[in-house]
Amino acid sequence: MPPIDSTKASPQMRVWDIGVRVFHWSLLLAVSVAAMTGFFGSPDSFSIHLIAGVAIAYLLLFRVIWGFSGSTFARFRTFIFGPSVLIARAKDMLAGRHTRYLGHNPLGGLMVFALLGVLALILMTGTVVLGGTLKQGPLAFITSYATGGLVKEIHQALAIGLVGLIGLHLAGVAYETVLGKEKLMKAMITGDKPAVSDVPLPKPALARPIVALVLLAVISLSSIFVIASFAARPGLGVPVATVDPHYVKECGACHVAYHPSMGTAKLWEGILAHLDQHFGEDASLPEATRAALATYLAANSAEHFDTRIAHVLAKANPDDPLRFTATRFWTRMHHEIPESVFKSKPVGFKGACNACHSDAKAGLFAPQNIDIPEGAFK
Amino acid sequence: MNMRIAAACVLAVIIPALAYAGAAQKPVLDAYAAQAKAEQAGFAGFSVERGKAFFLAKHDASAETPSCTTCHTNDPTKPGQTRAGKDVAPMAVSKTQDRFTDAEKVEKWFTRNCQSVVGRACTAQEKGDFITFMASL
Repeated sequence: MPPIDSTKASPQMRVWDIGVRVFHWSLLLAVSVAAMTGFFGSPDSFSIHLIAGVAIAYLLLFRVIWGFSGSTFARFRTFIFGPSVLIARAKDMLAGRHTRYLGHNPLGGLMVFALLGVLALILMTGTVVLGGTLKQGPLAFITSYATGGLVKEIHQALAIGLVGLIGLHLAGVAYETVLGKEKLMKAMITGDKPAVSDVPLPKPALARPIVALVLLAVISLSSIFVIASFAARPGLGVPVATVDPHYVKECGACHVAYHPSMGTAKLWEGILAHLDQHFGEDASLPEATRAALATYLAANSAEHFDTRIAHVLAKANPDDPLRFTATRFWTRMHHEIPESVFKSKPVGFKGACNACHSDAKAGLFAPQNIDIPEGAFK
Repeated sequence: MNMRIAAACVLAVIIPALAYAGAAQKPVLDAYAAQAKAEQAGFAGFSVERGKAFFLAKHDASAETPSCTTCHTNDPTKPGQTRAGKDVAPMAVSKTQDRFTDAEKVEKWFTRNCQSVVGRACTAQEKGDFITFMASL
């Protein structure tokens, strides 16, 4: 049976409904943005990465609902195939035989589930990473920095896996287009395919857009409520108490009052032991004041917090252990910033964290809160 | 005459007088004067000119902070900036009225900055001259 000629003369049939098509191309856009900002992004594009992730989450939610309420070929039941069918399909492909399915062929259907599944895992791991490393989002209140760091590896591995899956997906489309003479790309735009199938068609189903949209609205609105209430909880190990005003008065007189979580107990001890030689100046204090600050700093040092800044700055540079800007983390994060920016009038010097990090005083340092002042580039 | 009104009139005269540049600095200056008398026999009061010269002088105790002007700029009526980028309110009493009114604060900063800039503790006369200069602006 030559399917090639018969398709040309056959009447067109609506296979991919508008829901499937809009989902497909929106997902492509959202995943592209998420991948670009994830693989090649800077702190500037981090918000966009998060927005793309949220968009993917709602697209997936829609697709799952549509899998039960869309038209015939949108429904999951029309492209779930047993192992024997999948093996037969693979054997056919290897033998160069082409069996025409109107909807997803067995391997194509499996790819849909694989893509949806991996995307769901990327979203879940991403939320854990966001919660653990940046103490943002719905999981911040229960996720430790260590967990966030570990899951980040998984998030990244999954993202690379997704790129591989997309490659296979495109290879499948190319295979069908070349060997099966299927105009798949066009069908995903117009929704129509020649009404020819080598296998019996699944039981037709009517799309139920109202049901789908109501479900989508109910689930997304209630989930926003839950997510927002989770996200409003203070992050695990995040400073909530205001910084001691005496500390701010004494230490903030010459430089920004570095949040106590930025230094280990050992670092603060080292600083307070040599106030008379404080980075080239005499910053000595009356003993009572010095002792009070020592008590406060020891009780609020990096060891008492689970933020990224507390962890990364705790890894002091052995050659210059008291200087935040000497740490490897600081150097790595600022290596693209020209020296002139630090010396500019609005910044002044490398230790003026708050010149660009608007949440530095609270010890947070979120990538979204970085803004290099205009005048710094003059 | 109502005693309260009288008291209010007296206060109305006294309060602006206290706010007048120099008056509020008197207790701190008097203390340094007493100290200066004890330190040197021929002490004959503080001098605006000596204070100015001291403020502008270059010392060689530190490469980073060779002079008061490093942070406070040549014009004490203008705000300065610490090496760590923090703004410092003008030193001139006419611009920052509560300058040199808190003896503890004054002593803390003279202790620190004399060590950093001059490389030694300042004498009571140097401190008094400095304040007198700042109060004259």
